[in-house]
Amino acid sequence: MRTDSENDLLAEIRRLQSQLDEANDTLDAIRTGQVDALVVNGHNGHGHTLFTLKTADHAYRIFIEQMTEGAVTLNSSGLIIYSNSQFASMVKVPLSNVLAEDFSTFVTDDCKETFDRYFHTGWKESVKGELSIRSGDLIVPVLLSLYKLELEEEVALSIIVTDLSSQKETERELTLKNQQLESLNQALINSNHDLQQFASVASHDLQEPLRKIQVFSKFLKDRSTPELSEQSKFYIEKIFSSAQRMRVLIIDILNYSRLSKDDDNIESVSLRNIIDEILEDFDLKISERNARIEIGDLPVVEGNAGQLRQVFYNLIINALKFVSPDRTPHIVISAKPVNFRELGISLTNESEYCCISVVDNGIGFDEKFATSIFNLFEKLNPKSTFEGSGIGLAIAKKIVDKHHGLIIAKSEKGIGSEFNIVLPHCHVKRNPNG
Amino acid sequence: MVRKVILVEDDPDDRDLFIAFYAHRTDIKILPSVGNGVELISFLESIEADENLPHLIILDQNMPLMNGKQTLDYLKSNSRYSKIPAVVYSTYADTRLVLDCKKLGAGLVASKPIDDEGYQKMMDDFLKVI
Repeated sequence: MRTDSENDLLAEIRRLQSQLDEANDTLDAIRTGQVDALVVNGHNGHGHTLFTLKTADHAYRIFIEQMTEGAVTLNSSGLIIYSNSQFASMVKVPLSNVLAEDFSTFVTDDCKETFDRYFHTGWKESVKGELSIRSGDLIVPVLLSLYKLELEEEVALSIIVTDLSSQKETERELTLKNQQLESLNQALINSNHDLQQFASVASHDLQEPLRKIQVFSKFLKDRSTPELSEQSKFYIEKIFSSAQRMRVLIIDILNYSRLSKDDDNIESVSLRNIIDEILEDFDLKISERNARIEIGDLPVVEGNAGQLRQVFYNLIINALKFVSPDRTPHIVISAKPVNFRELGISLTNESEYCCISVVDNGIGFDEKFATSIFNLFEKLNPKSTFEGSGIGLAIAKKIVDKHHGLIIAKSEKGIGSEFNIVLPHCHVKRNPNG
Repeated sequence: MVRKVILVEDDPDDRDLFIAFYAHRTDIKILPSVGNGVELISFLESIEADENLPHLIILDQNMPLMNGKQTLDYLKSNSRYSKIPAVVYSTYADTRLVLDCKKLGAGLVASKPIDDEGYQKMMDDFLKVI
């Protein structure tokens, strides 16, 4: 049999249960915007206060509940009279405990003064500012937007609280990345400066002693002939040619390093004219070797005339140089339409590109070197048979790259080589003489 | 007519070579060389009569105190010396140096030769600008 006290207790539980249900309903009602007024228990025992929220109509309250920002409304003494659930989860306090709490209790100690200033100003004009709030054990950087709300019974201060954690993190990363970029940039400027310094040293200071080695070894050979044995003359000749080789190397490196500087002297360049000029330079060599040169129709391209001349100069000098002595050099220079599918590239404006090929019947090279021959100082042949610095093709590639083009080498050892240069901005002009 | 030629050159080897290669020539008289532009100017200023000024000034580019280009600039803006033909020679005469010196009024810009043949041809070319 139940005792009275047991019944009392059960009744008490039922009463509390219904109170809890009622409180939950109220919270739900607040959240879904069905409530227009709130009674807040008196702070420090000063009785109850009634707050009405007529301006926050149904739709807006739902809207505010869905926001990712915290939204609170304060009364004139700084008590929270409305809070969305987002703000409650920001400060990691149950929503029911947030209400009627002093907003500044959530503000970190070092920011309380700042908040007081915002709070004071906010009643006169809208104000925005950053400070930190406590979120459990954590401190969260936030942006506060304070704005005075004119309600019918009373004025209130609305505050939108934006969590800046991820923004601050991004800012920090961005600053870090910027610093890294800046130091890289500085390193690049320094190394460019070094390169220019080197270029100027190389142009004079390194060449001066080499020239003297040449001058004096020639002196020695020519003016002391009777005293010198054939063997000695041979050694002196070696000294002279080594110095000559070194000078060629220095000048080639110099030319290569100067290509890095921006040289935007772009004009219409007739490749035919360029090739004709180069062949004139090689006149002697061509007649010596009885070389046969065939030139097809060549286009006019947009580019730097001097640099493009260098490309073809380097290719033609190679074609004349790398031929076995028992063979008559035969060079064919011609333009052909570009087939990007063949090159494994997809472009819509194929017609604006052209491909100029330089084909020779020289010693050729193994196809596995087709890419590496364009590297600086890459040489595939012993110096004793074919003289050179190993910079010519590297320069050609750098120039073609600067013209937004491509240079591709194909070869078969003992048969010959083919260099294809693909260039943009081509105007095909037929040679009037066919 | 024998032309008076002055070499402005700081390198003693190059001064010696100059004298050695041109010792046999009768068409030119090599004046005692000076080491840089500053020395050249004080030498020219020490000459009282204009007819005693050199007929040709050969400037090395790389020199202390006043290099070839700076000296050329001074000479060409001076009323007494601007008429004297001046040429520049350098170990490495690139396009930049050639253009700069031509703009300043150099008669010719040459690379330093390495043998007798080169030296004779260079002087022949220089004498043509007089």
